[in-house]
Amino acid sequence: MYSTDIKVKMNPIIVTENLNFEYPAEEGMGNRRNLAAVENVNISIEKGSFVAVLGHNGSGKSTLAKLMSGVLTPTSGRVTVNGLDTADDKNLMNIKKTVGMVFQNPDNQLVATVVEEDVAFAPENLGLPPAEIRERVKNALETVGMSDYAKQAPHRLSGGQKQRVAIAGIIAMLPECIIFDESTAMLDPTGRREIMDTIKKLNREKGITVILITHYMNEAVEADRVIVMNDAQVEMDGSPHEIFSQVERLWQIGLDVPQSTELIHMLKKYPQFAEIPDGLLDEDSAADAIIKVFRKENKLS
Amino acid sequence: MLKDITLGQFFPGNSVLHRMDPRMKIILLIVYLVGVFFAKTFLAFGLLMIFVAAICLMSRINFKVIIKSLKPILFIIVFTAIINIFWTKGDTLLVSWGIIHIYAEGLRAALFMILRITALVVGTSVILSYTTSPVAMTDALERLLSPLAKIKVPVHEFSMMMSLALRFIPTLVEETEKILNAQKARGADFESGGLVRRAKAFVPILVPLFFSAFRRADELAVAMECRLYHGGNGRTRMKELHLSSLDFAAAAVTLLGLAGIILINKVGI
Repeated sequence: MYSTDIKVKMNPIIVTENLNFEYPAEEGMGNRRNLAAVENVNISIEKGSFVAVLGHNGSGKSTLAKLMSGVLTPTSGRVTVNGLDTADDKNLMNIKKTVGMVFQNPDNQLVATVVEEDVAFAPENLGLPPAEIRERVKNALETVGMSDYAKQAPHRLSGGQKQRVAIAGIIAMLPECIIFDESTAMLDPTGRREIMDTIKKLNREKGITVILITHYMNEAVEADRVIVMNDAQVEMDGSPHEIFSQVERLWQIGLDVPQSTELIHMLKKYPQFAEIPDGLLDEDSAADAIIKVFRKENKLS
Repeated sequence: MLKDITLGQFFPGNSVLHRMDPRMKIILLIVYLVGVFFAKTFLAFGLLMIFVAAICLMSRINFKVIIKSLKPILFIIVFTAIINIFWTKGDTLLVSWGIIHIYAEGLRAALFMILRITALVVGTSVILSYTTSPVAMTDALERLLSPLAKIKVPVHEFSMMMSLALRFIPTLVEETEKILNAQKARGADFESGGLVRRAKAFVPILVPLFFSAFRRADELAVAMECRLYHGGNGRTRMKELHLSSLDFAAAAVTLLGLAGIILINKVGI
């Protein structure tokens, strides 16, 4: 199921057309060919949606994220954000204001020695009046649940808290879309949970479009759409259910599936479990399906 | 161990000195220093000492901490005092023993030197470093020096670099500790051998540290760009600095003090 063709969308915020990006070959390397990081990608991200981008290391998912936020400009093809081309320098401020980016290492995103001053960084760059900056900072910190830490020094916070401050710093720009580039990868399970809850809240309550770059399957399950990248190309694109039903194919390109999906897939080798559908994403539905099978067995015997 | 370092010796608080505008503090510090160097008589030094005692009390900083700030310069104080005692010549000979002659003027000069250095160090610490956060300080410097931007001095860039450096000190300290432990776990020895050997032992710490610092700088630059940073042009600040009546009162007191010292010098009491 190659569905790289553009689906007709109602109201896209980011659209890529025949997008290509190559990193220049390093000097002195035997192989002088440029390294293609993104090849012929055509996707469109719907306003208000929650999209997860999956792929193993080097699959081009981070490069795609940087292309969509205007950090990198395409080698060929086009990326538009709300109709504005990222290749045009005049649009860049506007694009970066619309599409915020949260990176992997929270330490390398925080610029100030006080939490509230860090959150104020983007609004200050926008040249807003101080009263409005204060208002935005207050709201952003409330949204991520860090109001109590406003006067603290970032280096005294936990990883998850730092990352929430980094998110607040982006929210304070009032973006329409936020790209999370493996923002949970360096955190412990508690921190990861905090960030995922914050992300879902932003998407559901504030209507912010979320693009989540990750290699954790259980995070991708929470999205409404999953795009799988492999070797610089879009390999699969669909709902989590559609994607995770194809267990063998995901394994082939070196990706895992959620544990419950994997369990069901393995159980299906046995005839009595064969009729359970693939693509059950969470523990509850997997448990229900298994219990259903046992009940049926008991009735028969 | 490394983690507990305090940045620039700042003690958070809410005293009168903490609440003052950092710009005014920098300007008044300069006025104060001029006063310290102008003082030449007992009365002038008395006035100075009253001023120092007053700001120490107002800052609500533990007295022990202030005394501690004098420790590193104790040697200089003693040394200059001794030189002044033995080498100053005057009219009133107090002690004459072999080649040693001590005059009353020498004792006076030594006492004044001790008071002057003490006033210098305690005043600077209490007015600026103990009661002004590093962020407020860079902020104030940026604003005070902003006229220089007109003659193309990159004032904003310098202050941005300063505040980023301050932000990354604890992060890099933590990183150094991590690398130090990693190398120790691999059997690195930092404690034995001569100076050269010990210096060499630090190469495996500095190389990864620099490498990671450059990587961090790169990531930080991208993150800052994503947060719309485009230099100082058109940038506003959340915290505006306002001169309050407190600042004007402080300015009045300090200027009066300076005027007093100059007057005392003129009259010669």
